[in-house]
Amino acid sequence: MQWIALQWPPEAAPAPCPATVATTTTAEQEPRRAPDEALGWWALQFTPRVAQVDEALLLEVSASLRLWGGLRALAQRIEAENPAPPLIWQAPAAIGLVALAQLRLRATGQALPPPSALPEALPLEALSAARAHLPLLARLGCRSWGQAHALPRAGLVRRCGPQLRAALDVAFGLVPESYPWLTAPERFDQSLDLHTHVDNAPALLWAAARLLTALQHWLRARQLGVLALELAWTLDLKRLHGQPLPPGQALVVRTAQPAQAMEHLRRLLAERLARVQLLAPAVQLRLRALQTAPWQLASHSLLPEERRAGDPLHVFIERVSARLGPGQVLAAEPVADHRPEQRQRWRPAQQAPRHRAPATEPGWADALAPSWLFPEPLPLAEQGGRPLYHGPLQLLAGPRRIEAGWWPTGDAPSPAAARKQEGDPSIANKTRADSEAVPLDGSSPAARDYYVARNPAAELLWVFRERPTARQPQAAPRWFLHGLYA
Amino acid sequence: MAPAGVWAADALHDSGTPAVSTGHAVLDAQLPGGGWPLGTLVELLPAAGSVPLWPLLLPALAAHRVGQGTVVLVGAPQSPRPAAGWQPGLPALAAAGLPPARLLWVPGASAADRLWATEQALRCADVAAVLAWLPQARPADLRRLQLAAAKGGDGLLFVLRPAPAARAASPAPLRLRLDVGAAGDALVVDIVKRRGPPLAAPLHLPAQSPAMRALLAAGAARGRTGQARQGARVLPFAVRSGGAQPGDAAAREVVHAVDRVAVAA
Repeated sequence: MQWIALQWPPEAAPAPCPATVATTTTAEQEPRRAPDEALGWWALQFTPRVAQVDEALLLEVSASLRLWGGLRALAQRIEAENPAPPLIWQAPAAIGLVALAQLRLRATGQALPPPSALPEALPLEALSAARAHLPLLARLGCRSWGQAHALPRAGLVRRCGPQLRAALDVAFGLVPESYPWLTAPERFDQSLDLHTHVDNAPALLWAAARLLTALQHWLRARQLGVLALELAWTLDLKRLHGQPLPPGQALVVRTAQPAQAMEHLRRLLAERLARVQLLAPAVQLRLRALQTAPWQLASHSLLPEERRAGDPLHVFIERVSARLGPGQVLAAEPVADHRPEQRQRWRPAQQAPRHRAPATEPGWADALAPSWLFPEPLPLAEQGGRPLYHGPLQLLAGPRRIEAGWWPTGDAPSPAAARKQEGDPSIANKTRADSEAVPLDGSSPAARDYYVARNPAAELLWVFRERPTARQPQAAPRWFLHGLYA
Repeated sequence: MAPAGVWAADALHDSGTPAVSTGHAVLDAQLPGGGWPLGTLVELLPAAGSVPLWPLLLPALAAHRVGQGTVVLVGAPQSPRPAAGWQPGLPALAAAGLPPARLLWVPGASAADRLWATEQALRCADVAAVLAWLPQARPADLRRLQLAAAKGGDGLLFVLRPAPAARAASPAPLRLRLDVGAAGDALVVDIVKRRGPPLAAPLHLPAQSPAMRALLAAGAARGRTGQARQGARVLPFAVRSGGAQPGDAAAREVVHAVDRVAVAA
């Protein structure tokens, strides 16, 4: 058996000194440091047998030692990947209790006994089970593990209870050593008490970083990637200015691809937190993983030129959406419709699933369509039957007749119609017959003749003339500008 | 023969930076590296909003990283109606080889937002090209973008600014002033700045896509035919001379009913 005992020295005590160890255990904890439980999850990457014994972590690594390239290489790796810098203390030994005792001796600055005298020469203060009986053992003249081991078994059990004898049996290799092994829980849900009242978002983020680190250890231990997480905080006040406050506030952050690296999620949280107004100072933080997915490592190309440095696309989309708003990153979507304004749609890219890109129909692409489009056609003035736009237009090609939209589309009004109805309630109250006189709101049929035209400024325009239909035979033909070739 | 690393200023500088062909041989011949340089800020200075931009850029956008890589548009050209802006016409772009699935559009409420989004897009590995309308960009902002583009490596970056900005200094290694020809059928490209000698005369590129040119040519031919027909009062279904080649009186064709496309104007 090969054991490694790990302990992170209390912060603000860089030098292991007996006086400071006892006093500065919980005085000031850096928010960066993950909770002890999370450090155990971190250690699970080296061996599945990790146990929290008193103040230290015990790792049983004999089964995985070859994987890590031996004890020395493993020790260097632990040192290099230390999740709670700057210091980590480690002590290897063949028996867990011995490793733990060595760690305690080092923490209190005492000299280690030579390896040949190992369990016997260790002082009894370093054995947890003996701590309650130290005065009695001292009066008996017992100071080391070897001396206690030499005492008659029956008498020792009668005087000190079975725990001390059992611990000595383990230490001397008479009984195998076993602990309740640490496992990562099924769901991640951790809380953190804030030592001070936090009333601004950056400070909240600073505290949340500690929980995010814990989440990362948990994800690695369970081979998962997180898709959605919720950061909630409890408010200190129940009422503010006479108004009752909710008990807490929460923020949900989602990402498109399962993530283990917290950098992207931390940025998303920061952008979202910057927009949130804290109703009252927060006293407690809680982080939950709402949705997780099995972690799959991306396979890279063998050829170096295939790899590109930079973020994946979904990271870009989510970051910009978080900062500027989801409506500010738009993905194009083709729609099967003949009306040009209905033919293309822009929707928030976060909602559009990128991996299943809508297949365009064979006839959808149109080389003769304008490269810039007005979502709402611009009515043009007329002079002698010819439309005007920066001067009279010269029609070059056409007409191209489009007649569509005769089916009722009341369930999905166009943005123009929706805006009209929001802006002016009187229009919403008008009857259907009235609204048919306004043929451009998308809910009425479009009967148009499209022309390519040029104006005196040499711009190439796409204009159309409304055609009288059977529904509105008397409608005067009107000209509209709908696109631009540029 | 100049030693390596020395560039004679009267020749085009080929620094070995990879480039994508613009799709216009005339322009390729005048650009250092033979095309749009990758990982470099290219500044385009259109004289008006209606300068034909897509015909200039689409061949390269469609060819660069074929079938993959996203093209991010940031902002949009100034519209005559600020309330309802312009949108890229997707069917036309798809016909030119840029399907809608490869497009992302960041309208950007403010100039700072647009600048920030451009920089973020340059950082993204899956973005093949960025087209940003940044009329308010300052030289320091452009310098940032140039550095970000150089770090990104193999993306295209086009920044569009108004033509008066051509007089001011800019950190962009390549600057092009765009204008539309008097007849509207040519795109006039003047290279304001490049690593090489100044351009003697502006280049003339086609202002429309090939399909559009064919349509306009056909429309012009029909227009002439129509005028001739109106003057002579020739009835439909009659035999008339081909209007496409006015000098070629021997070319005669029969006009069918389906050919009677209404002639405008």
